[in-house]
Amino acid sequence: MTNAAAMKPDRPALPEWVRRLPECLMIWVPLLLSAAHLVSFSLWTIWISFTPSTLVPVTGWVGLRNYTAVAASRNWQIAFDNLLLFGSAFVLLSAATGLILAILLDQRIRGENVLRSVFLYPLAVSFVVTGTVWSWLLNPGLGIQKLVHDLGWTSFKFDWLIDRDMAIWTIVIAAIWQSSGFAMALFLAGLRSVDADIIKAAQIDGAGPIRMYRRIILPSLWPITITVVVIQLQFAISTFDLVRALTNGGPGIATQLPALVVYDLMFQRSLLGRGAAAAVLMLLILLAVLLPYAAWRYLQRRRASHA
Amino acid sequence: MPITTTRRRLLAGSVATLALPALVRAQSAAKPRLTVISQWSAGSDGAAITALGKKFEEKGGVWQHSPVPGFTTEMMNKLRAQIMAGDPPACSQLKGPEIAAWSKIAPTVDLDALVAAAGYEKVVAPDLAKLHKPGGKWIALPLQIYSTNMLFLSKRAMDKAKADKIPVTWADFNDLAEKMKAGGVAYPIANGGTRPDDGQKFEAALAGISPLAYRAAIMNLEKKALEGPEVKAAFAQVRKIADWMDPNVGAQHFSTNLKRFIDGDMGMMIMGGWAQGVLRNAGFKFEDFIIAPGPSDNSKPVFLLNADAFIFWQRKEPDLQAGQTLMAQLVMDPAIQTMYSQITGSIPVRTDVDLSGEGWSDGQRRTGAALKEAIASNQAVLSLAHNMAQENGMTAAMIDVITEYVKNKTIKPEQAVARLAEAVEGAR
Repeated sequence: MTNAAAMKPDRPALPEWVRRLPECLMIWVPLLLSAAHLVSFSLWTIWISFTPSTLVPVTGWVGLRNYTAVAASRNWQIAFDNLLLFGSAFVLLSAATGLILAILLDQRIRGENVLRSVFLYPLAVSFVVTGTVWSWLLNPGLGIQKLVHDLGWTSFKFDWLIDRDMAIWTIVIAAIWQSSGFAMALFLAGLRSVDADIIKAAQIDGAGPIRMYRRIILPSLWPITITVVVIQLQFAISTFDLVRALTNGGPGIATQLPALVVYDLMFQRSLLGRGAAAAVLMLLILLAVLLPYAAWRYLQRRRASHA
Repeated sequence: MPITTTRRRLLAGSVATLALPALVRAQSAAKPRLTVISQWSAGSDGAAITALGKKFEEKGGVWQHSPVPGFTTEMMNKLRAQIMAGDPPACSQLKGPEIAAWSKIAPTVDLDALVAAAGYEKVVAPDLAKLHKPGGKWIALPLQIYSTNMLFLSKRAMDKAKADKIPVTWADFNDLAEKMKAGGVAYPIANGGTRPDDGQKFEAALAGISPLAYRAAIMNLEKKALEGPEVKAAFAQVRKIADWMDPNVGAQHFSTNLKRFIDGDMGMMIMGGWAQGVLRNAGFKFEDFIIAPGPSDNSKPVFLLNADAFIFWQRKEPDLQAGQTLMAQLVMDPAIQTMYSQITGSIPVRTDVDLSGEGWSDGQRRTGAALKEAIASNQAVLSLAHNMAQENGMTAAMIDVITEYVKNKTIKPEQAVARLAEAVEGAR
């Protein structure tokens, strides 16, 4: 902009603040509004979590009682265990699936565009739809198990949806189906940005494809891997609609997740104080993921600017 | 002086012209209008409240119903938002102990004069009346009653089992289930997998084993009763029921399996009277199924009360106030209650409505008779699964234990008893 203005000296230069006005209006106003929105409601939720609110928010102070009640409840404990399992399984498996898909697509194959769209497409579907579709597919009386039985293999068993120990894996399956395409797109971009000269040099040195991936290409992908992991993790922590449509926390309460517990406490049980406490706990879990990531990004940038 | 007269006339005329719109407005303000929210959007429930709205309009009112589909709690979220915004509906659906809880957060309309004028108090079951006048004054009006522990029997499954006797006690019930199983009925119990569905199995079992223990443990939350042998026996009965259910239903609604029930692929269903409305609405005939009171070990009917009601929120607008009066009168009217119950399959709140006439099913007549008998023998109790016995928070904590027990066959009845008592302590 400064260059453009300098190149046209015949046009009277606008005062600095007028020139920057659209920029300020476009960026700062929405940013401040959404930040105020986010911060004020977060603070309000934190305040509510210390009050004895039930049906409607009330003032008062109960200290950490809401927190201890939530942490002691079976629902929360199951939800927390599930989050650990679901979070790690989902993040690792979706990143692995995405990486494999990206490597396969990167082999300069024909129809790459079509395939890429196919793998990305699930991302365009809402989680409620994904959940509902998989709830039919995985239902042993209607879906895959019935299909295989009808084909003649009657001893086949695939009833994870109604098996309370395995039900959480059905959510992992549906979530991977939905979002491994996203990981694939990021990895593919990373693969394409590996310096062609290095690859050529490696080829000249006689490195085979496996060795080349292992020693050269994959190590250069690790910043993208971290991005993928962080994005998927924060998705995992806030998962709500998928579980609600797929198992609704069942069988029994076997597939509870923190977001489900928050909703349940606030809007099903009318315990606003406890719901707010559960929401704050969720926020803390998120921060535990996001703060190290932010610190890492900061260090990266500093190192880059020093170099 | 003619000029003066003209002038006067002119003056009077212009004043009248100016005043006219105000007069018209005052008149239209008296036209009753009602803003209502409820969860009844579709099926027989939706049809019934639409019919009620038609009656309201026939009486010259303006009917503004905004249904919020889903469970009652979904409707409550909208109600909460409206109350917090200072704009409550003139009338909303609400029931059980929630009436008392919610009446503390926003002013309600005192209905005592209207109830007295209609002589309503005499014809309402006393336990039920108490729920609708939490501060000693009527603020809500019950409209229809369901029993949540009705026993639905599939005629075709009965034929397969070569049985024709309606089970009375839990022992009879278990015998019949075994016979059905032996006769080729795939699943003797038809069911859904929702939380209230699981809760109903338990409350039906406990109330059927001992209504006294139910009152003490579930309605009064007495620790000794909660840990008593009846609760353990109820959990044991629930395990039997769970073993006869189709495990594949997952989290489905009970109505998903009604066709299999009618076809005799499933045999018995423990469900509220509303299932009759759903069955009829789906096109099934009365010849296809039998409705009877749920099993009771002392052979006298046990009635698990679930009553839908309307609560009236204070509004300043005269048209809304007129609408509230009209609505209250309609809700208490025996003809309206008859119309409503005949659509939904419930029974009227008024105990003086005659159910022998045209339009009532045998099941409804049996339900009505069961209610009278149950009230007489003090065996009419409030439903847990449908939020009549406890407030939502407590109910949900208890249902957590029950639904987990139904779905997890490794939990022993005695463990479930301990967990239930623990959950009650935690939610207090």
